Amino acid sequence: MDIGTRHRPRLFITAAVSLLLVLLLGVMFNGEGAFFQWETHRDMLRQMSVFGILACGSTIVIVSGGIDLAVGSILALCAVVFSLLTIGLGWAAVPAVAVTALAGIACGALSGGLISRFNMQPFVATLAMMVFARGVAKLLSGGQKISTAVQDPDGTFRYVDVPRVFETLNAKTMGDNLAVVTIVMICCLVVCWALLSHMAVGRQLYAIGGNEEAARLSGILVRPVKALAYSLSGLLCAVAAMCQAAQEQQGDPETGSTYELTAIAMVVIGGTSLRGGEGSIGRTAIGILTIGYLEKILSINAVGEETRLMLTGLVIVVAVLAQHSQTNRWQSV
Amino acid sequence: MPTVSSRTSLFETIPTHVTAVCLTVCLAGLAYSQNPRWTIGMSQCNLGEPWRVQMNADIRKTAESAPEIRMVFKDAQNDALRQSAHIDEFVRAGVSLIIVSPKEAAPLTRPVQEAYRKGIPVIVLDRRVIGNQYTCFIGADNKKIGRAAGRWIAATLGGKGSVVELKGLMTSTPGQDRHRGFRDGIEGSGLKVVFEADMKWLEPNARKEMESALTRFGEIAVVYAHNDPGAHGAWVAAKAAGREKSMLFVGIDALPHEGQMYVRQGILAASFEYPTGGAEAVTTALAILNGKSVPKEVVLPSRVYTQKNVNTGGELVH
Repeated sequence: MDIGTRHRPRLFITAAVSLLLVLLLGVMFNGEGAFFQWETHRDMLRQMSVFGILACGSTIVIVSGGIDLAVGSILALCAVVFSLLTIGLGWAAVPAVAVTALAGIACGALSGGLISRFNMQPFVATLAMMVFARGVAKLLSGGQKISTAVQDPDGTFRYVDVPRVFETLNAKTMGDNLAVVTIVMICCLVVCWALLSHMAVGRQLYAIGGNEEAARLSGILVRPVKALAYSLSGLLCAVAAMCQAAQEQQGDPETGSTYELTAIAMVVIGGTSLRGGEGSIGRTAIGILTIGYLEKILSINAVGEETRLMLTGLVIVVAVLAQHSQTNRWQSV
Repeated sequence: MPTVSSRTSLFETIPTHVTAVCLTVCLAGLAYSQNPRWTIGMSQCNLGEPWRVQMNADIRKTAESAPEIRMVFKDAQNDALRQSAHIDEFVRAGVSLIIVSPKEAAPLTRPVQEAYRKGIPVIVLDRRVIGNQYTCFIGADNKKIGRAAGRWIAATLGGKGSVVELKGLMTSTPGQDRHRGFRDGIEGSGLKVVFEADMKWLEPNARKEMESALTRFGEIAVVYAHNDPGAHGAWVAAKAAGREKSMLFVGIDALPHEGQMYVRQGILAASFEYPTGGAEAVTTALAILNGKSVPKEVVLPSRVYTQKNVNTGGELVH
């Protein structure tokens, strides 16, 4: 099946151009040489890992012609669940990871079900899930962070150790050169890339995003495949949530607000269209690096908040405009 | 209640009416059995912040020991207009007194004024409203706390070393005051702020900014963060770089389960309390309701918690 990705390598290169421009910015404003130290790059990759994992899920959903606004809230909910199980109840890592993953999948499946079964618009269904999941997160946590200070019924606090799974996820590996959460993100990227590019279900997602009716007529089971996209996004939220909780060493019901916007920005900076039917994980990876480097370069130069916001907005526009003009030119050739 | 337009619809809605009447009777009975003398409305601007959750908890705890009052809590979810509607609702419900912790001064000035002019005493907690049309303002002084933190750091380090300042949201007055106060406090000492960044009160941002500071500066003597989660985020970053032992971390707020816990765990060298004033608000409310006169303005004292005094309840800041 031709899935309209003839220009994929070229689009990949165009996406890389904006990344190169950002990198050039880093070379020029290198924060007294900080940009040339590996630690800067390692820390940037760590910071972007949670967003990157969310962006993987968003890519799958956007390719299928949808949008997932609930990722930040599902992340908070799963972070609370994970912390409650490991810190509060002292569960071992494996069952806690499993239950957290199930919670994420359940949230995703619920919004996916609303969209595919009841034909609800993805924006509306995931907006509802965004509000709902945040509410559940606050309910479960009692509005407080789930930290290693556990309150006993008499009001006094006792301190428990940080769970081992938190330490593992929060550690660095490969001779302190890469954060464990970055490895997790790379694994997510590889799995999602394989799913989208080399599996039947991936091709079906592109087909549904391109033309849902045509996909239905060609025998694709549109409903389950669409629901699957949101469930996968939910699962990736759970993975990101575990990384987030481990890094914050607590489950914060307020965490992850506006993360959905960063995740979507990463996908579109990679050149994936919000119309659906095209895009790739490789380009999302470029988007992750572009936003990541931009933030890091602004941070090492201690640039003020106003300038940061304006520059980030500018980079999104420039990146998308560049790709837009390139696509048009190639299509007219 | 449904509108009754004809006989048939009256019959159709009888079950609804019966249920409604039963519910009202039950609620009234419940209220009567508790028999509080006064109802106090508490309008909180945002229960998404742990510090404000603590404020409500303090109010609830103090109010429990006064059976003559009943508390009604409303959460405006960080929306000034919703909060202003909440105050109007309290006025219409005829509460005996209103405690309000406003989100912003300007949008909440009118409802507070109206309630006050109607003879309902209003206690304004933590953030101010414009003018003087309220009964009592209770709050702490962020500038003073920032200054105390600056002086404490200067004294502890012997007046020299490089400082990283992780600022709260700089468009908010607490952020501005904690910044200005701190700069006042370290003025004249040999301390030098080498890196400052806006972490918007959020721990992940603080960690991110601290990582940048760590790659740029080989020697950092102290990290001053405008709240405890910020200081904790900086500590996490320093620990990941293996440098957490070579510098001090100082935060503000000192919530029992947050800043005080970090001090006890040896993560923070000091945390400066930003008191919620919840308990003071309830005692002031009781004084007003019992006809006693109260001062127009109460500035709450702050306490500093260090490793030495955290188990004995901290020390008053002067």
